[in-house]
Amino acid sequence: MSQPVANCPNCGAKIVFRWSSSVQTVCDFCKSILVRTDVDLKKVGQVADLPPDSSPIQINTEGKYGNKAFVVVGRILYEYDQSGWNEWHVMMNDGSSAWLSDAQSEYALSLSSKAPNLPAAAQVHVGQQFTWNNQTYTASVITPAHYRGVEGELPFQYWDKADVTFVDLRTESRKFATLDYSDPEPALYLGEFVEFDDLKLKNLRSFEGW
Amino acid sequence: MSTGAPPLSGPPKPQARALNCPKCGAAITLRSFGQAVTVVCSSCRCILDAKDPNLAILQQFEIKTSDVKPLIPLGTRGKLRGTDYEVTGFQRRSVMVDGITYYWHEYVLFNPYKGIRYLSEYNGHWNDISICKTLPSADGGGATYLGEAYKHFQSADANTDFVLGEFPWQVRVGEKAGVTDYVHPPRVLSSEKLEKEVTWSIGEYMYGREIWDSFKLPGDPPEAMGVYENQPSPVATNVTGMWVAFAAFAVFLLLLMGVFDMRAKKEPVLQQTYRFDRAEVKGEPSFVSDEFALTGRTSTVEVKTFAPVSNHWIYLNYALINQDTGQAWDFGREVSYYYGHDSDGSWTEGKQNDTVVIPSVPAGHYYLRIEPEADPSLPSIPYTVEIIRDVPVFGIYGIAFLALLVPVVIICFRAYTFERSRWSESDHPPVQLSSGSGDDE
Amino acid sequence: MFRKLYLLYGALVLSTAAFGQYRGWSLDTVNQVKNVPKSVRDNPGSYRSVYGFYHHYTGGK
Repeated sequence: MSQPVANCPNCGAKIVFRWSSSVQTVCDFCKSILVRTDVDLKKVGQVADLPPDSSPIQINTEGKYGNKAFVVVGRILYEYDQSGWNEWHVMMNDGSSAWLSDAQSEYALSLSSKAPNLPAAAQVHVGQQFTWNNQTYTASVITPAHYRGVEGELPFQYWDKADVTFVDLRTESRKFATLDYSDPEPALYLGEFVEFDDLKLKNLRSFEGW
Repeated sequence: MSTGAPPLSGPPKPQARALNCPKCGAAITLRSFGQAVTVVCSSCRCILDAKDPNLAILQQFEIKTSDVKPLIPLGTRGKLRGTDYEVTGFQRRSVMVDGITYYWHEYVLFNPYKGIRYLSEYNGHWNDISICKTLPSADGGGATYLGEAYKHFQSADANTDFVLGEFPWQVRVGEKAGVTDYVHPPRVLSSEKLEKEVTWSIGEYMYGREIWDSFKLPGDPPEAMGVYENQPSPVATNVTGMWVAFAAFAVFLLLLMGVFDMRAKKEPVLQQTYRFDRAEVKGEPSFVSDEFALTGRTSTVEVKTFAPVSNHWIYLNYALINQDTGQAWDFGREVSYYYGHDSDGSWTEGKQNDTVVIPSVPAGHYYLRIEPEADPSLPSIPYTVEIIRDVPVFGIYGIAFLALLVPVVIICFRAYTFERSRWSESDHPPVQLSSGSGDDE
Repeated sequence: MFRKLYLLYGALVLSTAAFGQYRGWSLDTVNQVKNVPKSVRDNPGSYRSVYGFYHHYTGGK
């Protein structure tokens, strides 16, 4: 897979895209948010300093999901009143993209899914049930979160969002779903909880004393 | 491969953060790398906001009981399920049931990669607890989780009495949560309801010794008192299995009985009627029978005595003597029979016959030496002596049957009392066995 | 664990019972006397029983 190379329009540093379909990335040197157009990279914003966080995953962490290998290429950070979590953007070895979420060391992998008639944020309540892919999901938590920052490559444009509502839906198995209301159109992600050991992660962050 | 990447210093390596308590200035270290939501200053008993760089004060509490010390000191590391965890938080909680307050302790365990687990300890019983990722389903009497059925054990309001260290949630002293426990030993499924939020956790029983070995603690763990809700039963696991084994053994015993009964020769060797006559027996009452041969392998010899006694007794002093080897079996048998009439009706005592089985008599030529004696009021009486070679002894099967039964009954009983002990602490205690009021004798 | 022990124990009990039946064990107590001389056959009075004389009266009610 060819890795397109470009230069940061703000500071000139070399930008490498590990994922050919990346739409947005962040310049590691000057922290400018850059969006790919057909022609070149355009600076659209700036990332403030990311808060110190506890995720053991970092950009370039590698792992396995089932029999597919993946590498972490980007992330979105969210916060809510209790704490926060990371949505790591991972690139699978077949070129597709997925999301590895890390919330207080609870890990889950999900994929963007299409489904008709997704409800609006105001219409969803806890306990409501939906069926997607022959699986019943029950809404368990509605979280008003706020966007805190981005890092690395993302498959869409995403920055400076205001408060975002997320709906967690659970099942009686490891499967779960998320309704993401960052955009006017609700987005559905279907996935499952995974164990840290099963991900076989390599190139993790090291912690002082561990 | 990405040679074009700038030389990154990378995100700073997370370190434990050292801060000062805003109230009393004491040093506070945050060890859980950003996962703590609240942290306690042990010097001034303040709960602080761990997410706030200034450590805003959330609550100040007083301890009502003196000196609550965690059994596993904060900062200790131990291996659970193959992963190292560090103890970062501790709390004492209590419930009040029927006017009595019960205390237990919970420890927060942290690993930067695997996240947070908990240990609970009550009266020396430990549990390894983690938050459920998938939702259990509950309905009044029970709950189901990951295909296992759990029975409702107890519902109570748990109060947080004392806290120490760091917590991944907004802990407050004095806060009450509705806790319900469902058990399927060795596991316990707990739901905790705080305001509107319900959290489910799954625990697995651990022994104090395992905890002490894991965390390399000095001395001995506290002794476990009583039976805990999800404590695995040391005996119950195979009660059914043992009864099945017993049934199989019993059938085998019956077969054995049948086979030996069929194969026993039961060969009559001697049948003779003698007469005891007091008048004639002045000098020497003893005499010897005719010779007879006992054949076959070393086996039993049955000696039967019949005498038509009627409110008398006779006593025969027998000796079975091997002519060739001089070996003898010496035994005495009484035949007595009494009957009469009294206010309760007619009664009898004794029998007019007697049987004895002589063990392990080898084949050979034998005779019987007999020395009779009789009740002084009995002048004379005839009696018949029968000798039968190779009879089965059913008493042996009886003993074997009991020997097989006793261990199963003991195990069964112990499993039963263990379970009674377990459930006596629950919301559904077993019914008292002693007969209650209203039983007519 | 208990079940295995019990299976072993049961097998032991059964084999002891079978062995006992085969070898002619019985439950009655009988005294063994050795070296009874052949002369007892002709003179039964010369044999002294292991038991003392039985003077026991077992009356009824």
